[in-house]
This record gives sequence, structure tokens and C-alpha cells, in this order.
Amino acid sequence: MPKTKFPAVVSTFILCFAFWLLLTWSLDTQELIAGAIVSLVAALFCARFFIHDKAFWFFRPARLGALIAYVFVFLGELIKANVDVARRCFSGCTDVNPGIVKVPVDLKHDYAEAMLANSITLTPGTITLDIAEQEGKTYYYIHWIDVAELDRDKAGEIIKGRMEKWIRRIWQ
Amino acid sequence: MILRIIIDVFIAAGFIFALAGTKGVIQMPDTYCRMQASTCITTLGVLGVVIGAALYAFCIMGSPATGIKVVVIGLLVITINPVGAHAIAKGAYRHGIRPEKEMEIDDFRRDFDE
Repeated sequence: MPKTKFPAVVSTFILCFAFWLLLTWSLDTQELIAGAIVSLVAALFCARFFIHDKAFWFFRPARLGALIAYVFVFLGELIKANVDVARRCFSGCTDVNPGIVKVPVDLKHDYAEAMLANSITLTPGTITLDIAEQEGKTYYYIHWIDVAELDRDKAGEIIKGRMEKWIRRIWQ
Repeated sequence: MILRIIIDVFIAAGFIFALAGTKGVIQMPDTYCRMQASTCITTLGVLGVVIGAALYAFCIMGSPATGIKVVVIGLLVITINPVGAHAIAKGAYRHGIRPEKEMEIDDFRRDFDE
């Protein structure tokens, strides 16, 4: 079990306390004290599971900016894919050509891999089934509702789109 | 008045995508395609309704606490949904559920299923 580190506790505490403030939406002294105590206890217990690496990774303008830009890039991809799948659903659900492709991914960080996998799953039309590591390279197994390209590398370009580039910029 | 129309447009868009997803869940040919269709409901379906409801709470109801809670619901659905989707899809495949029609390309079977 990893050890609890002080910066991790601090950042978990800040997150918990911000959540508390947002949910209660009052600046009453009693509320603040109760929230601080609860957040501190939660942070002490959960920090080592919640943050494994560098706790203040995002406290840099370049990374934070990339993260905010990524939200908009992702929304664009999301709307495109949603319209595509909704069109297939309304046109009788016969216009599908499913398959599972193995796609190479070039990301260094574990968090970046998890983030890309979740983004791909969240886009309608593609679901990440598994992440495999072979000979130092990472591969995703992706279920694709409409296999437009049989070559793995090109299929990866189509599925990942601009998302991989932006995620690499966040986690470099 | 204009604000009200914008809110209605967001909620209506959410309904349309949720309807598409539901139709897909019922009619798609196999398990995995049904899961793909259900993603439509949890992304733009939920997002549209959440944005509409949050605008309503902030601007018309004048109650930021309610709006924040709606936004938190949206964020939780968006972040937690893919984790469940991975687990369900992989579990279904490992359990031996295969589509009736042979898939065009199936690398997962090639690598893991001798």
C-alpha cells in the first residue's frame, strides 16, 4: 500500500472542501468548520488512493490551459460522433458494421492512457475493451460500430482524432 | 424570453439524443452495438438536459445551490460512465457473448481466444 504524502493530502483536502462549499453554498461559520473537519478526515484516509504521483501537476498555466482546451476539443468530437450514431439509430439500426480493432497508442503517462481510454469509451461508436502492453508499446482493443478502415494505424488515426495530441500536451 | 427558448432548445436536444439511444438499445443487432447506442443517452442526452436545467436554476429560479447540484450530477455521470462501460464490455466478451453475425475484424479473439 502506498504511503500517504503531505502534498497529496493538501490537494485532496482542497478538492473536498471546494466540493463542500459548492454543495452547501453558504459561508456560515459552523458550516465551514464542519466542512473543514470532514474534508480533512476524508483527505487523510483517501489521499493515497486518490493521488499517486505529483499532487500539484495542474498548477502550471500550460497544462491547465491544455486541459481547458481539451474539454472543447472533446466536446467537438462528442457532438460529431453523437450525431453519427443517432442517425444510425433513427435509420433502422441496420447500417452497422461492427468489429474490434487493436490500435497502437503512444502516450507515456498512465493517467494519460486512462484518460484517452475513457474519452474513447465516452464517444458513441467506440468502446475501449482492454489495454495491453506488448514489447514496451501500448495497444487498445477498441470495439468500433462502423469499421471504415482495416489497417490498424489508419483506424487509430480515425478513432483517436485530435484527442491523443491534446492529451499528450496535458501530460507531458 | 430568449433565455427560456435557449433552455428549451437544450432540453429538447437532450430528449432527441436520449430517444435515439433508446431506439438503438431496443433495435441494435448485438450486445456491443446496443452498448454503443446507450452511450448516446449518457453523453449528449444527459449533457443537454443538465445544461438546460442548470441555466434554468441559475437564471430563472435564482438558486445557485440547485444549479451547482445539477452540474455535479452531470460531471459525475460523464466521468463514471466510461469506467462501467469498459467493465461491462470486457466482461461480456470474456464471458463468451459473441455477435450473431461474424465481425468484420476481431483482434481481441485473435490475441486472447485460442
